[in-house]
Amino acid sequence: MTAMDAEQLSELLSRCVLRDQRAFKTLYHYSSAKLFAVAVRITRRRDWAEEVLQESFINIWNHASGYNAAKSAPMTWMTAIVRNRALDLLRRPREVEIDEGHEDLMASIPDESPGPEELLKQSIEAGALAECMKQLTGEQQKSIALAFFNGLSHGELARQMQKPLGTVKTWIRRGLERLKSCLDARGI
Amino acid sequence: MKFANRELRNKLAAEYVLGTMSAHARRRFEINLKENPALRRAVSEWEKRLMPLALALPEVEPPPRVWQAIESRIRASRQARSGFWESLSFWRLSSIATGLVALALLTLVMVPGPGVPPADGIRMVVVMNDLKTRNPAMTVSWEPGKPGKRVMRIRVLGHAEMAPGTAWELWMLPGKDQKPVSLGLITTHDAQTVIVPEPLAAKLDRAQGLAMSVEPSGGSPTGSPTGPVLYAGPLVET
Repeated sequence: MTAMDAEQLSELLSRCVLRDQRAFKTLYHYSSAKLFAVAVRITRRRDWAEEVLQESFINIWNHASGYNAAKSAPMTWMTAIVRNRALDLLRRPREVEIDEGHEDLMASIPDESPGPEELLKQSIEAGALAECMKQLTGEQQKSIALAFFNGLSHGELARQMQKPLGTVKTWIRRGLERLKSCLDARGI
Repeated sequence: MKFANRELRNKLAAEYVLGTMSAHARRRFEINLKENPALRRAVSEWEKRLMPLALALPEVEPPPRVWQAIESRIRASRQARSGFWESLSFWRLSSIATGLVALALLTLVMVPGPGVPPADGIRMVVVMNDLKTRNPAMTVSWEPGKPGKRVMRIRVLGHAEMAPGTAWELWMLPGKDQKPVSLGLITTHDAQTVIVPEPLAAKLDRAQGLAMSVEPSGGSPTGSPTGPVLYAGPLVET
């Protein structure tokens, strides 16, 4: 699929305000595979990821007028919608506790999918962000990547990294602080 | 104000965007988000910082049934209720400040001037927002319900600029399943008038809103909007 630039996507979004279904379909065509990847990764279940993608696009259609091109790139805006949906679904109270030993659920992630740290390396293309990520300590990078890509909460991170909750929280907080000051310095 | 401390806003926004909050904390945070513009700004800044990470994920093609489900849902909702209002969520969620600006603008267009009918008549007013900045950018008003044509008074706010070789086309959004209808080209002049002929008049009074798109000079070649939509707003009866 050929990439579509931010300006084209943002124009499609503005046409969704006019209830232009064709523009909406084009928008879906060009962005759904990227957004679905985000949903699959966080929810770790195809069926949930499909639900997330569906709800997110309904949200995008209904709130296209809320998109502010001056403030964020279209993919940033849409990715945030998908991540929020996915995280809400992941965190919703469930009768079945799936936090522990959910091999069956994990099985639905393709095995070849790269780990969070590998993804972080791949995001090197993301320019300034990657540059700044490199300035963080290994633990800070790992905990931020696990939280971002896999949607882990503080508690889950502590369990996965086998470290006290306070330690993990500090890694994340300091890592994000450093990231911010580095990006700020680069005018991002 | 809650979260008056900038550092605290920044810290919470970062955690929210990264996604490490518990369900309970997320919900509480989202409630605060609705009423706190500074907090919303902090969130949007963190989204800008972190979301590009997601581009590193290899694409995963969703099955066709997802689009089919989306398409059937938007079709159903279009039949069930008015789409335009749904889309104008910013209108309902707009801050008190924006509300006051809109109110001031209403007053502005309501002030009787030469040629404006007496105040006892109902007027339709549309405050069109710039969809990028969300600030009011244009107002349109007319007197509805009479037989014959409509005289729309248009005020363009601020100093809008039109790119060379382009035109601004005004559209009526009739709502439901109907396509936008062209009301003609407008200029960037701060005060202007557009005449809407009789066959369209009644439809205009019942429209859901108006929008302005950028078109090639001479107007849309297809009869439907082809360029980006800059301004839009719903009809308000005053």
